[in-house]
Amino acid sequence: MFSAFIGHGPLYRSKKKHYGRLFTPAVTVAFVVLVVIVAACALAPVIAPYDPDVNDLYNRLAPPSAEHWFGCDQNGRDLFSRVLFGGRTALLSAIGVVAISMIVGIPLGLASGYYGGFVDTAIMRCCDVLLSFPSLLLAFIFVAGLGRNTFNAVLALGIVYVPMLTRLTRSLTLVEKNKVYVAACDSLGYSDLRIMYRHILPNCISTILVQITLDIAYAILDMASLSFLGLGTQPPQADWGSMLDEGRAVLLMNPLLSLIPGLVIVVVVVALNIFSDGLHQYLDQSQTALPSFRKYERKYLKKRKEGVPSGKPA
Amino acid sequence: MALVLVVVSVLIFAMVRITPSDPIASMTGGKAVSEETKQELRVQFHLDKSPVEQYFIWISGIFHGTLGESYQYRQEVGSLIQQRIGTTLGLVALSGVLAIAIAIPVGVISAVKMNTWVDKLLSILTLIFVASPVFLTAIVLMLVFANYLQLFPPFGTGEGLWDSLYHMVLPSVALALNMVALTSRITRTTMIEQLNSDYIRTATAKGLPRRRVIITYALKNALIPVITVASIQIGATLVGAVLVESVFAMGGLGDLLISGIKAADYPVVQGVTLLMVFVFLCINLVVDILYAVLDPRIRMK
Repeated sequence: MFSAFIGHGPLYRSKKKHYGRLFTPAVTVAFVVLVVIVAACALAPVIAPYDPDVNDLYNRLAPPSAEHWFGCDQNGRDLFSRVLFGGRTALLSAIGVVAISMIVGIPLGLASGYYGGFVDTAIMRCCDVLLSFPSLLLAFIFVAGLGRNTFNAVLALGIVYVPMLTRLTRSLTLVEKNKVYVAACDSLGYSDLRIMYRHILPNCISTILVQITLDIAYAILDMASLSFLGLGTQPPQADWGSMLDEGRAVLLMNPLLSLIPGLVIVVVVVALNIFSDGLHQYLDQSQTALPSFRKYERKYLKKRKEGVPSGKPA
Repeated sequence: MALVLVVVSVLIFAMVRITPSDPIASMTGGKAVSEETKQELRVQFHLDKSPVEQYFIWISGIFHGTLGESYQYRQEVGSLIQQRIGTTLGLVALSGVLAIAIAIPVGVISAVKMNTWVDKLLSILTLIFVASPVFLTAIVLMLVFANYLQLFPPFGTGEGLWDSLYHMVLPSVALALNMVALTSRITRTTMIEQLNSDYIRTATAKGLPRRRVIITYALKNALIPVITVASIQIGATLVGAVLVESVFAMGGLGDLLISGIKAADYPVVQGVTLLMVFVFLCINLVVDILYAVLDPRIRMK
């Protein structure tokens, strides 16, 4: 969607066959930023200079300094350490959300697209009902029923993300289902499950993968929204969204307390967007030339050359 | 749509009560009360009946113009909503109009100036606004325009029409910026697609002015996907309004919903959620009609 920024050239003008690289400059930067942030959050216990939950009342609202890089919050907790630990919560829960939506959504989508008929109608009607809730509202009432904590928020968002992934998988399956290889598998007597998971799914997975990287970005935003409203992660546990909310109380005294967690969210989401877009462009251009396939082709062609010296490789 | 609403209402009812928590605490404000009072409250709020009976009491209430009584405010949910709905709908409407008024020109400009620095700048800006959670945008706007420049009030809803509108400027801009980002990207993509099609070349070859080609020819045909995305975005704005209301302390529906969720105030949560779904479905209906207005092929069916 942001191709102009990424620099892959025009979206619709060029139909030239060129195999783009995945790591264009913008994608490389995004990838490095992501790796650095993820690594920093993963290694938070090692990197963080302070315990994120220990109050130090001498340093309340301390401005950024050499000891406290981002300053301290109203309880004197080191903001830098809290951002790192908050990142663990935020990133892990976003991955959890997407994992739940994949585990439920992809099988449903495959079944819906492959079997059609009653199964399809039933699954799609359920999706329609879930989609008649505007975005996060469904998550709100799930959390209202289940109770407010990080785990329930992840569960709720996971369910909210299911219908979209189901629809995507279904539409991809519908296209693949009519291809010859499916008929071939069918005539070989393969079971439905085997056809769906071993043959159709691998052919859809690249598009799903692009969607999933984007979904992680949205999940980070939505989790932050829930925590911000006090429906997700509960204080004192550090989380980017709830930190923003806590910082609001002292916004005029030290705006950094809200702005830094916010900025980190923006950076991560921008990076994920660029990465997802780059991935999309790359997979789109090289549908027939995925790396693994190319390797296989090379190996295969080499063998053929050895076997049939005069034959021109196909 | 009626069927969907019925299913949605069952779902809302079931979800809100999925774990058997005792809402008595929220009625009494956490104070210790005698067992008899609790029993009286249960009878008064029909909590002694089975869930199915409770559901039918709730639903039949809607047809009689009542959404039940709030546990914590001891007031009709309908009248609670009535006091607050103006703020929320005003916010959604204002930000929707603002967003479309900004997004379409931005999208058209970046499509026409494809791959120039203008396009790239707009791309970067929209990317940032997509990535910025709406409450962060709101906080930044509040800091800059209300506290440092002191142009707009930092919170509250204001009295009278003009004052309310004045109070709504910052919140609706915050909401709109988020919407602008995605909508303008879609406008750009579909405009580029349209500008590369044959009929545009024909129109240009006929010697029509560039402005006319872009606006009356390309834009009209590019609008359908734009409207689809914009309508989904307006739905998201309903929820975004909850966040923005919280930042600007506006006391709209969002505030009611969140306090209802925190206090296990079932009637309030059910009422507000059902209303929001209803509004969202109405927006979708309007969009379906708009499709027919814009595209004669859909009208034919």
